[in-house]
Parts: sequence; structure tokens; C-alpha cells
Amino acid sequence: MNSLERISATVQRQATDRVPVIAQVFGHAARIGGATLDEYVQDGETLARCQLKALHDYGYDAVFSVMDVNVETEAVGSVLRYPKNQYSVIERYALAEESSLESFQIPDPRRAGRMPEMLRALRLLRKELGDEVAIVGCVLGPFTLATQLLGLEAALYLAIDDPARLERIMDFAAEVVIRYGQSQIEAGAHLVVIFDPSGSPAVIPANFFREFELPRLQRVSQALLASGAAANWLHIAGPTASILPYYPKAGIDIGNFDYLVSAEEAKTCLPDTCLDGNIKSLLFVEGSAGDVEEEAKELLEAFRDRRGFILSSGCEIPPEAKPENVAALVHAARGRG
Amino acid sequence: MNDIPMNGLIAAILDGDCAESAIRVEQLRKAGASAERIVTHGIEPAMSALDGKCTLEEFNLLEIMLAGRAVTEVMKLLYPEGSAAAPSKATVIIATLEGDVHDLGKNILKMVLTGSRYRVVDCGKDCPLEKLADCAEREQPLAIGISGLITNVIPQVKQVKDLLRVRKLEWVKVMAGGAALKQSTAGKLNVDFVAESAFDTLHYLEGLAGDGR
Repeated sequence: MNSLERISATVQRQATDRVPVIAQVFGHAARIGGATLDEYVQDGETLARCQLKALHDYGYDAVFSVMDVNVETEAVGSVLRYPKNQYSVIERYALAEESSLESFQIPDPRRAGRMPEMLRALRLLRKELGDEVAIVGCVLGPFTLATQLLGLEAALYLAIDDPARLERIMDFAAEVVIRYGQSQIEAGAHLVVIFDPSGSPAVIPANFFREFELPRLQRVSQALLASGAAANWLHIAGPTASILPYYPKAGIDIGNFDYLVSAEEAKTCLPDTCLDGNIKSLLFVEGSAGDVEEEAKELLEAFRDRRGFILSSGCEIPPEAKPENVAALVHAARGRG
Repeated sequence: MNDIPMNGLIAAILDGDCAESAIRVEQLRKAGASAERIVTHGIEPAMSALDGKCTLEEFNLLEIMLAGRAVTEVMKLLYPEGSAAAPSKATVIIATLEGDVHDLGKNILKMVLTGSRYRVVDCGKDCPLEKLADCAEREQPLAIGISGLITNVIPQVKQVKDLLRVRKLEWVKVMAGGAALKQSTAGKLNVDFVAESAFDTLHYLEGLAGDGR
């Protein structure tokens, strides 16, 4: 069974040779590949090279073409800064002040901002890995993109002061995301993770998520599936127990859960959906390899009798993580058989 | 003048209704209530009620933001720029450190502390450590609150107390919070307190009240 087959079978809740392991290695790969983070997030070839080096070193089941959370907003018109060895930072939001939404177009992923570089990374990864390892692209959830176009605080106030405008912006965001996601699948991604940190109950109430974000997530996941995505993966960190039950309605096949949701809670909330999680991100920085292995073993035990589990961290493994800790995560899954 | 009812203002703040809060304040002023009394008997009870509602399970950021915005507006009415400063329990400096531009958590803390009668000095986001230490030297605060969403600021957080010691400000308490920092412990971050939420920070500060500063 190769990595892609293992993940596909796990999503279908079928038997596998072992539990798949996906380390959420994004910028950490830059460190493994000897690049700075600012180079990594701007150059598709560097990103692909570093991902391949990290895959070679760690031996997990998926690689990611993920730059940072500002690719879409930059493509629409936000102005970014690229500090040395850090993820990019938004200097000016595209929709700050009262800019009219009508003056913005859905960006063309072949031309806009860093989107072409992201697609280049996917093409290189697919050329190198074929269908052996899962190649994962990334789009933002529509609400998260709205917060990246407006600024988080402004977006939240807009939800109260002018919800109709926020909904128009979210509809626009959903279109941006769909077009970008479809181009990622065309470029070689097997699946696309929908990264939606602003959709977390740490930021918005569950009923807000249900009323505003869920219908748009449905649209995004349907479009990605129609374009050939092997599965839809929703990634929201934080205390998500109150929104996990909505995931199947959004067409989600893989639901990420963070350390603030226990394995038992996640299983109860999503009895029929593949889950991935949930080791605390900071443990990969502050803990030891033994700590990570212990947590991983507990998780594997908690999901022993349940097909449909991918061993992973609860959120991104920080760029500065200790390599031996990432290796310990992979070892826990591979060693178990 | 001590029996002027504040219930209308409290309800307006809790409802996050800026305009209604402003109307209520005007009415209270006309009825003879002092600015200080409006703060202690209107704004503070509203913040306490919000505190009681916001458990970890029933956390509603939007509700806090809306109430916080109403409080900010009311404070502007009561203490317009250029007038005497609002009386406060103590000064607290807040910041998001260099390399982290996510400032919502910090801004929430500012609203909660301002509404609870603390004087808040905001060092902003992406704040270099030296700027924070200079500010502490100038303001002599009770505490410094650092909010961090991403883990790359942790090495800087660990330096804050040492930097304060060099400036002979070792008595200033250092508090950390935010999605990245709350995954850690006070010992590992070299701070005095790690907060789960803005109200958690407030409770810690209230506990320091007996420390003589």
C-alpha cells in the first residue's frame, strides 16, 4: 500500500496496512531544506524542493504546497511585506475602508500574486511523486479570506454593523477560493485542505459558523470534488467541538481536530468522518521526542478500533520544531504496523 | 446622587449597543451622576456580568468585542481627549511582540481592562523588546500583558523578565496569553502568569491588588 492508497482507504473507512501519518509540515520544510522562510513562501521551486527533502527525511504520507495564509488576499490586492525568515505579513488590506467590492475581480491563478508559484510547486511535486504520496494544496475558507481582505477586527464588526456587506464579501471570497482550488487540482494536487482558522469557535460563535460559513463551505467542497479532488479536508483549530457536527453537511471527508478537543469528543461529534489530529503544536518545539511519541501512542490507542484516523498534529507544526520530534510522530505510526 | 439607576447603561453595554450606551450616559450625566460613578457603577458591573457569561465553553468573542466597543465609546464621552485622565486602579502595558502582527487578542484585553478601570498603555503590534522595556521604565506599570498568536515570538517572551531586571523593574509582573502562548506554561515562558482568556488576565490583576502597587 503506498501513501496515497493508505490515505484514500482511510478516508473511505477501509482497512489499511497501518495508520497514515501526516505531519503538518509547511514552513518547517524550509528549515529542513536549507531555505529561509521568506524564500520558501515566494518561490515554488524552493517550496517543492524543501517539501521533497522533508518527505525524504521524515517519511510521512503527504506533502503540502502551502505558502502562508496571505496568498489569496495578495492576489486580490492586499499589500504584503516579507520579513526575513518569517511568513508574510499584510501591510494594507485590499478591502480596508469602504472600497467597493465591484472594483475587484476574481484573480486568475495563472497570473495573480504568488498563485502561479504555488501551482508550480504542485506541478513539481506531482512530477516527482506521481500517485505514490498524497499531494495536498491549500485554500482559505471563505470567512477566513474575508477576514484577510478586511482585517479580522473589521470583519467581525462588519458582521454586526452590515451583515449584508459581509455576506457579499464572503460570496466573493468563495469564488476566489473555488477558482484557486480548482487550478491546484489541475496542477497536480490530489486534494486541497480548506484552512479556516477564523471559522474557529475561538473567534465566531457556532451559530454564526452554521449560518454564514457552512453554506459557502458546501459550495467550495462541491466545486473541488467536481474538479477531481480525492477528498475534502477542513482544517479549523481551537475548541471546535461545537462545529464538528456540521462538517458532513459541508461535504467534508477529513476533519482536523486540535488539542482542545479530545479524541473521544471528536469521535462522538463525527462518528462517520475521517479525523486527523491532534497533538499540541507547541509540543514539537518545547517537548522531547519521547513526549511526542507518548502522545502519538495514546492517540493510536484511542482510535485502535476505528477506521478513519490519520495521526497528525492539531495545527501546523511550527517552523522552529525540533526535527527529532517530527520524526517521533512518524515513527509512532510506522512502528505500529 | 448615589441612587441614580445604572441598569439601562449596563444593559446597553451588554447588548453591545453603542448609540444606546451614549444616550444612557448623557441621561445619567444630566441626572447628576459623576463620570467616576458611571465607571464604577455602570461600566464595571457590565464587565463583571460579561465575565460571568464568558466561560471557556460559552466563549463569545463577538459579544466581548461589541461590549468593549460600547465601553470605549462611553469612556470617550466621559473623558474626552485633553480632559483629566480617568481614575484607575493601576497601569498595565500591553503588546504583541516583534514578528507577530496579530493584535485582536491584545485589543480584546485592552477593552476588558479599560472597562475594569485599569489604565492601559498599548505598545501596539510587532513591538520590539527594547521599546517595551523603555515604555515600562517610563510608565512603571503594575504588569505587562503579552499576547501571542504564533510560536515564533516565544524566544522573545522568555527575555522580557530578564530585560526588566536589567532596568531594575523586577517587580513588574509579566502575563502571557493568546493561542500560541497559552499552550505553554509560566515556567517555560519565564513569565509570572499564563492566561486562558482576557478575563483570566483580569482576575490575576485583581489578585495583585493587595501587593501595594
